[in-house]
Amino acid sequence: MSEDFKSLDQEVQSLKKEVLDLNRELFVLEEELLFPANTQVAIFVSMDVGEFFALDSVTIKLDNKEVANYLYTPREAEALLKGGVHRVYIGNLKAGEHELIAIFTGQGPNARDYRRGATVKLEKGVGAKYVELKISDRASRAQPEFIVKQWD
Amino acid sequence: MIRLIKAKFQFQRIALAATGAFCVALAAGASEEVERPLVGTPQPVKDLHWGDVLFYFYQDDFLQALTRLGAAQDFNRLTHHTVEAELLKGGLYLSLGQHEEAGRIFRMLLNDNVPLDVRNRAWFYLAKVWYQRNYLQEAADALASIRGALPGDLEPERHLLEAQVLMYLGRYDDAVRALERWQPGGKRLDAWSAYARFNIGVAFVRTGRIDDAARLLDAVGQISPQTEELAALRDKANLALGFAWLKDGKPNEAKAVLQRVRLRGPQSNKALLGVGWADAAERRFTKALVPWLELRDRNLLDAAVQEAHLAIPYAYAQLDATRQAVEQYTRAVEAFEQESRRIDQSIAAIREGRLLDAIIENDPADKVGWYWQLQNLPDAPETRYLYHLLASHEFQEGLKNYRDLKLMQRNLASWELSLTAFEDMVDTRRQAFEQRTPMLQQVLDRVDLDGLEAQQRELELRVDEIERENDVAALATAREREQWEKILRIEEVLQRADPSDPLVEEMREKARLVKGRLLWDFNSSYKARLWKVRKELRELNVAAAEARRRWVLVERAREEFPARTEQFAERVAGLKPRIAQLSGRLERAAEAQNRYLAHIAIRELESQKKRLAEYSLQARFALASIYDRASSAAPSAGGTE
Repeated sequence: MSEDFKSLDQEVQSLKKEVLDLNRELFVLEEELLFPANTQVAIFVSMDVGEFFALDSVTIKLDNKEVANYLYTPREAEALLKGGVHRVYIGNLKAGEHELIAIFTGQGPNARDYRRGATVKLEKGVGAKYVELKISDRASRAQPEFIVKQWD
Repeated sequence: MIRLIKAKFQFQRIALAATGAFCVALAAGASEEVERPLVGTPQPVKDLHWGDVLFYFYQDDFLQALTRLGAAQDFNRLTHHTVEAELLKGGLYLSLGQHEEAGRIFRMLLNDNVPLDVRNRAWFYLAKVWYQRNYLQEAADALASIRGALPGDLEPERHLLEAQVLMYLGRYDDAVRALERWQPGGKRLDAWSAYARFNIGVAFVRTGRIDDAARLLDAVGQISPQTEELAALRDKANLALGFAWLKDGKPNEAKAVLQRVRLRGPQSNKALLGVGWADAAERRFTKALVPWLELRDRNLLDAAVQEAHLAIPYAYAQLDATRQAVEQYTRAVEAFEQESRRIDQSIAAIREGRLLDAIIENDPADKVGWYWQLQNLPDAPETRYLYHLLASHEFQEGLKNYRDLKLMQRNLASWELSLTAFEDMVDTRRQAFEQRTPMLQQVLDRVDLDGLEAQQRELELRVDEIERENDVAALATAREREQWEKILRIEEVLQRADPSDPLVEEMREKARLVKGRLLWDFNSSYKARLWKVRKELRELNVAAAEARRRWVLVERAREEFPARTEQFAERVAGLKPRIAQLSGRLERAAEAQNRYLAHIAIRELESQKKRLAEYSLQARFALASIYDRASSAAPSAGGTE
């Protein structure tokens, strides 16, 4: 490689590092400003399926108000199948009791359509609240269902 | 669209060119297969935010994955995946072309406190980083530090890397031995060892060790390919070997291997040219014309096709077919001139700055990444001539840099829009605080927590006294207390009444009975009531403690809130100039990169033009020789060189 290229390459690496660091700072600041820890609620979607299941969408309602309606691309669904966890919603809630309704749709083996839901009572205290909605067919074979886990 | 040739090997050092008049360029791009820094047994996700990082990583969105990983570490949300997070971070930096940062992270992972498999992977990735930066001995030492096998695809990649490093250190025999230890040669080679053998074979060709090269390349040239990429590799191996034999004066051997190359494929043009030259070397010019005439009708952009334009009239001349030789030389001159004019157009377009944007606009992806490779070229004048250049390491890396810079500019531009929202948020916080503070103060003023706690303590003391004195009546209900007091008043009145009055005596007896009954009730309920009162006191304690805790939180929040808001304000205020400054630097770096790439593109085009001019000159010279011989009325063979 020529010296000109190396010198440019060094400069680009240095610039990219600064941009990457800045990205992280901005991401952190955005979360701290918009979703402070004491009111934050975040909802995650994960999958644990043994049989084929193609996830199409997930809808989330909090206290009867729709807060998220996410359509999954094949690539995103694949990432979930590999073990990724999607933060489908982040918002703010007052302390106290709230109701979460989650619905997912998708296709199982033999192109069979699925639509399942779950209703959860959330007790929001001081501090961030995380809820994991796991789409799993372990309990009921070939029948994916929501398994809800609350993390504090 | 014009598809670039892709080869599996990830490190772009295997572009080699045979020398001499045969003009073979063996170019290979990098892998279309994106590397997985964490190939191996996937660990269960124990932190949700780790899963969030993986969600983007598995989609090859390395920028998002790295941003979220850094943020999650800042928030301390990856307590169950600390080592894996660092390993992934290093891999992500490597994926984003940040070799130095990746190297720093992997070096930090090389201590006894991390498990062996993590150390092995860190050594492996460090070796890759050093190899990429040309620190070959360090790369070799790092590879030698690995103990045991690496997981999944990393293991064959490690062997390939080891062979490459040894090769570039000039230790070819060691490289071959390393390959043989890993996987003995033969027709059933897997993809990794096939690439390793190919690379080393071509290196042997370059250093003149043809017999050693033949052994390796012949094996690769006869594999049964399961994929298009392996089929392309097989063609390249046969091509490399064929031209090596040609150069070594063994045309029959050359023809045999060149004929293994597919008739329609990325290497077919060069192979057709080589087959023709093999026959020409044995003076079988009629046979040589067959592949050359096939080649002539192909795209003149290709160097092999250009050479065929000269080779055909040469063959006719050798066969004393003078008229056809003249026709073909004339046709060649015209074709070369036309191409030269098109190259001029391309150079003009590049000088106007249209090259990189034309290439990048055609790329549908929007992800930053070191492993991004250009998949499709726009079919435009300025890109048409640049296949070999675009496959070269220097150009591809430069193109990646340019693309990354543009993507980062867009990334910063979108953050810049968010800054206005951040400023609004800070103002909202200030206003909300100012509005809520009076109401908050009213609420706090209404609640006398100290007084309530004093009352609570008093109650506890009272209950203690009741228990100590066994004062069963103290726990009576209001109604019972009313009755008890009534009885006591009645007793008092009866005490003052005339004791000789029989009615008084009767009343006294009744009062005694009622009092006794009440005392009986009190006694029988006493334990249960005492237990209940104690329970309620405990609950009161808990509630009081919670109230005190919340009070403290509210007070603390009220004190800290303004300072915290001002910290946010400072952070936001500081970001604006940083973004502006970085955006400016990104723009300047992108321009510099653009100018550099345009410069090497023009250099390449000018060398192509020069080649065309040389061919044109050869054709004219050959024509002049033919005319010369014809004018002296003595038929003789014309030569081109």
